[in-house]
Amino acid sequence: MLAVTFETVRQLVASGIVNGSAYGLLGVAFALILGVTGRFHYAFGVLYTLSAYFAFTLFDRVGWPILISIVIGVLITVVMGVGIEAFIYRPLAARAGNNSLLAIFVASLGLGVAGGNLIQIFWGAQTHSLLGVTIKPIGILGANVINVDVYAVLAAVLLVGTLTALLRFTGLGRSIKATRSNPDMALLVGVDPARIYLVVFAIASLFAGIAAVFAALKYSVDPTMGFRPVVLAFVVAFLGGTSNSPVRVYLCGVVIGLIETISSIWLSVRWNQLVVFVILVIYLASFSFNRSLFARIRQVVARPA
Amino acid sequence: MEVAANYIDQILIFSIFALSLNLLLGYAGQVSVAHASFGAIGGYGAGYLSITHGWNLFLGAIVGAVVAGIIGAIVALPALRLSVEYLILLTLGVSSVLLGLFTTFPQLGGTYGLIGIPPASLFGYDLLKTSDWLIPLAVILVVIYGICHRLGETAYGRVLKGIRDDPEATQSLGKNVVWFKVAIFGITCAMAGLAGALLAGFNSLATPSQFSFDVSLSIFAMVIFGGTGNLAGSILGAATVILTKPLLEWAVSLAPEIASLWRLTLYGLLLVVLMRLRPQGLVPEGARLLQPATWRAGSTTEQPSEALPQHLAEEAQDWKTSAGSSGAIVAAREADWIDQPVVLEVNGLSKAFGSIVAAEDLSMVLRKGTITALVGPNGAGKTTVFNLLTGFIKPDSGSVKLNGVELIGTTPNRVANAGMVRSWQDVRVIPRLSSVQNVMLGVQEQDGERLAGLFGNPGAVRQREREVHDEAMEWLRFVGMDAFARESAGALSFGQSKLVALARVLATNADVLLLDEPASGIDRQWVDAMLGLIEKVREQGRTVCIVEHNLMVVDRLADHTYFMELGRITDQGTFTELTSSPRLAKAYFGTA
Amino acid sequence: MPDRLSVSSLSCSYGRKNVVFEVDLHVRPGEVVALFGHNGAGKTTVIKNILGAYTPSSGTVTYDGEDITGASPRSNVQRGMALIPSERFVFGDLTVHDNLLLGAAGSTDGEYLDRKLAEVHDLFPILKERAKQLAGTMSGGQQRMVSLGLAMMSSPRLLLLDEPSLGLAPAIVEQIFGAVHDLAADGLSVLLLEQNVGQALKIADRSYVMRSGRVILEETTEQMLARESYWDLF
Repeated sequence: MLAVTFETVRQLVASGIVNGSAYGLLGVAFALILGVTGRFHYAFGVLYTLSAYFAFTLFDRVGWPILISIVIGVLITVVMGVGIEAFIYRPLAARAGNNSLLAIFVASLGLGVAGGNLIQIFWGAQTHSLLGVTIKPIGILGANVINVDVYAVLAAVLLVGTLTALLRFTGLGRSIKATRSNPDMALLVGVDPARIYLVVFAIASLFAGIAAVFAALKYSVDPTMGFRPVVLAFVVAFLGGTSNSPVRVYLCGVVIGLIETISSIWLSVRWNQLVVFVILVIYLASFSFNRSLFARIRQVVARPA
Repeated sequence: MEVAANYIDQILIFSIFALSLNLLLGYAGQVSVAHASFGAIGGYGAGYLSITHGWNLFLGAIVGAVVAGIIGAIVALPALRLSVEYLILLTLGVSSVLLGLFTTFPQLGGTYGLIGIPPASLFGYDLLKTSDWLIPLAVILVVIYGICHRLGETAYGRVLKGIRDDPEATQSLGKNVVWFKVAIFGITCAMAGLAGALLAGFNSLATPSQFSFDVSLSIFAMVIFGGTGNLAGSILGAATVILTKPLLEWAVSLAPEIASLWRLTLYGLLLVVLMRLRPQGLVPEGARLLQPATWRAGSTTEQPSEALPQHLAEEAQDWKTSAGSSGAIVAAREADWIDQPVVLEVNGLSKAFGSIVAAEDLSMVLRKGTITALVGPNGAGKTTVFNLLTGFIKPDSGSVKLNGVELIGTTPNRVANAGMVRSWQDVRVIPRLSSVQNVMLGVQEQDGERLAGLFGNPGAVRQREREVHDEAMEWLRFVGMDAFARESAGALSFGQSKLVALARVLATNADVLLLDEPASGIDRQWVDAMLGLIEKVREQGRTVCIVEHNLMVVDRLADHTYFMELGRITDQGTFTELTSSPRLAKAYFGTA
Repeated sequence: MPDRLSVSSLSCSYGRKNVVFEVDLHVRPGEVVALFGHNGAGKTTVIKNILGAYTPSSGTVTYDGEDITGASPRSNVQRGMALIPSERFVFGDLTVHDNLLLGAAGSTDGEYLDRKLAEVHDLFPILKERAKQLAGTMSGGQQRMVSLGLAMMSSPRLLLLDEPSLGLAPAIVEQIFGAVHDLAADGLSVLLLEQNVGQALKIADRSYVMRSGRVILEETTEQMLARESYWDLF
């Protein structure tokens, strides 16, 4: 087991980056929602899955060209994401006041469960294949990947880069960061948080939709395809930090992907699925013990009286 | 018949899951989406012992429950200080790790799980048919319900609800919050382990999908449906979620697979609708299932009147006519002050956060039966002094001696137990407890707050609970709020809740009371009433220290005043002495 | 000339607190009005009602003759109001430059922004030097300057300023108050909430005093200065 060839390592690194890039992209999207709006958007996973199903249906059943199917499929997902914020979360938050996090999580849970089962009712439990892009093997620095992997990583880098630029250089980005940094003050300078929340849900749904389509092209479309990547996205978002730069969160996703694949050198496949969660639990435990310290410092610094 | 029994058995088993999660979520306020995976510990444990060692399932269930309880208590440790979103993520992680572990070991059947668990037997009878399970499961459910009720609806539950709504305030009343949280995590996870073992025995198998994350979510949904903080509701919730499937099969004649999909879809959508229309669930906290009239009315408790309690209003009038403190009275009070024995002695207390000095070399004394005030400009660090004294912030150096006993290094709850209790600027009554329950939370030495007493000596607990109630009522009468005893504290006006908070602090019987801005945010007549009460407390021989920005209040109450600037005590004396110093006026008002 | 701001018999219970009762006050164009009072007297609640962050339970708020009771903070910012709170008044994890741009009430007119930035940089040169620094990493006094600069970016006509001296060294307080004084000389109306009576009276034209949610006193600066002590007002 320990005699690992260079080839193996190279291959594992390549697939780690490919997987991790997807986790990173989803993590960036989830972190954006949690950081800016404070909503635990569990239904994120079902939106991810729906996006793949929409693209599949438009391409395979309706017969539209692959690119148009994908674009329309992702757009429908974006509309749904924005709709969830506008028609479900926002009224709930208005009603629940300070305790809205749990209420929204429960509603989101409900949406996730209902959505996942509706998918099975409409499309069945079986897996479908989203064809339309011919899979070709590509060798990069001696590692074997497929063309879809390359597109997926490029798309992820492009999206994360665009988001970073948006946040850094535009007025909209400033308003988003302002809402995340200090919502009370943002209100005082005339930023409309309701509008910012819609924008954030649109961006995050777009990212989820695109990540899902690449996963569908590479593997397949099935009702549970959203669960694992999205749970890993939660992990990435928390480990990367919900108020940090998207680049950092994305890289954190890549690292998680690498840890997951490289740990398979020493651990069996079943165990390496666990590694990420073990890291998460250890991280949260240490975070919890440090947190008391930070919380107290913040409490005193913020309220010197 | 067997079909009906099958569903009833499932309801009974999932009621145990839901009851225990409700105790954790609805009473103690700890979110967990890993409850089914703790069931897996019990299920796999009992199943493994039964298959490989021929153990009786019920014996294995007990072992499984104990193991689940221990693991639950360990998980509680990192969970202690996490906010809701991190707790969701942590329990999601724990769920994945536990389920991952079970699928990893080939001895446990890998992804297939343990199949063919031998039938359970009880008193020599094998439980072969589903109807055989009815009575044993019902008995176990009744026992579990009894335990949950005992934990949730007595003195113990009062503390849990305090922790749920405001852990810091609860700790400041002398409750060991850490121990309560660990214990309740352990107990509820053990119950989940037991339920998991029963489920495995009932189905003769223990599989990953039986205890999957989706199952955890459906248990979560049962609790939300039934109403958090209401045990009877959880059984109703379990029945609702489980019976949807047969109802769909029967009413719309759907095929079983489709019916189970629709069942999940419906309960998902119901969660959304419920959060929107009735977030408190079918049976809200405090409501009883057998009194439909009250729960249909919902939580529309009448808004209590804003009026000042009668006898306080009269006394407030008295004070206005008898005028405030004259110079002669103040001088006499100061002369008195110096003669009183020292109760609290603070020496050289310092604390810095990085480069920010919050307190530097603070020394002060509080004397028995007197009122001491801390005044100073905003940002001087007055509230920080309270946090340092009560252990909420650990000082870098210095000593705090209460009746000669060193308090530095102990926890806030121990400081309260030792006899020094603080109040909070923003009041912090427990909104979903009634006024009298809030005050009862302040009473020390309650048998019902200890697990051993709760289950070992019910008679003594009942007796003590009556005493505690009477004590609390007396304090409510003292502050003039006895008419509002049954009103939930969240429905009181700000002035009223300040009085309840004062009664709660008084009920601790602490020698030393630290009152943080007792007169802020309330109208003039309430201020008068509050001050009258604090003066009465002094007459009872208790030692009081106040932080107050309303200087009229300081003028009237204080026997001795310390002046603070930028974390230091720079002067002391009577309030009149301090206000005649031009230097202090400059420090306070920035005047030249 | 009509009042820039006029508040009449304003009452507000925020949360369950009844913090403000029947408050009357007004601010004329170009006037600096100080509002004194102890902590918890209700000063902050009054200005949050004026900006629209809270809704009053009764009473009216008039701005330049227009009844704006219950209008949103956003619309009031566009009308020309700016509020700087006493705590957490900058966007800590944004740069100084971004903080200033956020103050411009959504304006995208490059020429206007450049002109305003230049004005703010003139007022506080350090904000130009530290343009790329995260506001949260600056000293308390510098953060105050950021907040004041941020407020000036929208060319406000009424500035609601909550305890700008809180936690600052006297020299920096002088500098901040000097800047406020200069801005008022150019026609800005200021409602200044303070505990630092000495500094506030140097720039204020008139004063109100609040205690336990009510306005108990209105005096000119001369009258206030003539007082022997202020202890009985707080």
